Amino acid sequence: MAKTWGQFVRGWMTKNMELPQDVMMDLPRITMIGQIHIYIENHRGLLAFSDKELRLLLKQGQLLIRGKAFVIKTILPEEILLEGKIDSVTYITDTD
Amino acid sequence: MKNQWIEFYRGLVTVKASGKGIERFINALTRSGINIWNVKNHGTQSVTFKMKVEDAKKIRSHARNSDCRIEFLQRAGAPFLMKRLLKNSGFAAGALAFFAVILLLSNMVWGIEIKGANPATEYQIIKELDKMGVKKGKLQFFADNVESIQRTLSNNIEAITWVGVELKGTTYHLQVVEKNEPEKPEYLSPRHLVAKKKAVIVEMFVEEGRPVVDIHDHVQPGQLLVSGIIGKEGQTETVPSKGEVFGETWYKSEVILPLKSTFKVFSGNEKVKHAITIGNLEIPIWGFGKPEFEEYELEENEKAVKFLKWKLPVSYVNKTFREREQVTRIYSNKEAFEAAKDLARKKIKSSLDENAKVKGEKVLHQSIDNGKVTIAIHFQIIENIAEGQPIIQGDSE
Repeated sequence: MAKTWGQFVRGWMTKNMELPQDVMMDLPRITMIGQIHIYIENHRGLLAFSDKELRLLLKQGQLLIRGKAFVIKTILPEEILLEGKIDSVTYITDTD
Repeated sequence: MKNQWIEFYRGLVTVKASGKGIERFINALTRSGINIWNVKNHGTQSVTFKMKVEDAKKIRSHARNSDCRIEFLQRAGAPFLMKRLLKNSGFAAGALAFFAVILLLSNMVWGIEIKGANPATEYQIIKELDKMGVKKGKLQFFADNVESIQRTLSNNIEAITWVGVELKGTTYHLQVVEKNEPEKPEYLSPRHLVAKKKAVIVEMFVEEGRPVVDIHDHVQPGQLLVSGIIGKEGQTETVPSKGEVFGETWYKSEVILPLKSTFKVFSGNEKVKHAITIGNLEIPIWGFGKPEFEEYELEENEKAVKFLKWKLPVSYVNKTFREREQVTRIYSNKEAFEAAKDLARKKIKSSLDENAKVKGEKVLHQSIDNGKVTIAIHFQIIENIAEGQPIIQGDSE
């Protein structure tokens, strides 16, 4: 109850006070450059990594990136820069 | 993005991690603030990544906790490069040493060639050169320059009249002309001996020919002293007459000498400076500051550093400042007369042969006016007055 209340307040604040969502709601900010680079901020850690697949833990749910020839160019606690040929970016949420 | 060059500078390693908990391992690393990059997957359950050398020690415990095996594959970066450089420094040192040795050897004296001297003189010359620092295996910087070698040699060694010194590369070539070369036998044509000047004969040594004058005879210039025609009348024979006829001759010498004279002399104080010049830049090595002499003469000696056959723009300069002083000499009247007499004697001697003797002198007149001493001396000299006069065939008989 408290969590949903908090989320409601944040949602209302971002809507009415024009604050960026990623800051307010701990959502990932994903920047892609064509198919070759993907830059994800605000992740919560690596779940799986192979050259065809990268699975990241988010605050809510997971992010699944598929493609070919993946190389993690940089990895920091909350940021990751992935290089390769990206085919798809999928959100996986358990609530669905 | 990070600046890869900084990482390169500090050194980096490639790590291979394999096992089940690779992802957990990477998360643990990133959370504890260890930078990793270029994470690549290699087949199943194994990744390679790069990291800083400093962090390499820290990852062991993380690896143990996350069930991973790690392996260090490749080391790169400046620290390792340095290590390799140090290991291979022998080559660089060798190359450097090679050039240093060539440089040193190019500036050594490698040979001294003496031409035109007999063994005795040659030995003397070598000994004299030795004193000046010209010797096989010595550095040319410490040897005197060519001109002064030439001067010293011709001054110090009696047996040579002239010596030409030339430095060709690393060899000194000496061309010597000796004084007493073997005497060439004289082939004289028949001649008389006649008087050179007016004299009274004192002594006669006649080797060949017929003397026609006697001791105490007064002779005039051109008068026949020794005849080259010998033998009885009717069967005469002409010979090259030979001999010495000493006669007493008279000279008058006049000398004017100022009582007061100034001239410059070296005081003996000197200052030596050593420097190395590169192009126009001069770097002093020893001897600093300006010479404290009011008046001085500067002798500069520059020696270029040679490399094989080339002269480098680097040279060693040796500067000598010699103090000069002005000295005023004032003679008293008596001293002035003595000095003038001395001068007159020297003047006479320099104009005479080596075997002439001064028999007597007589001051004819001496005076002082306008601060000058004037003296006239009459000298009696005993010298060889004989002079050859060829006998021209046909008019002798």
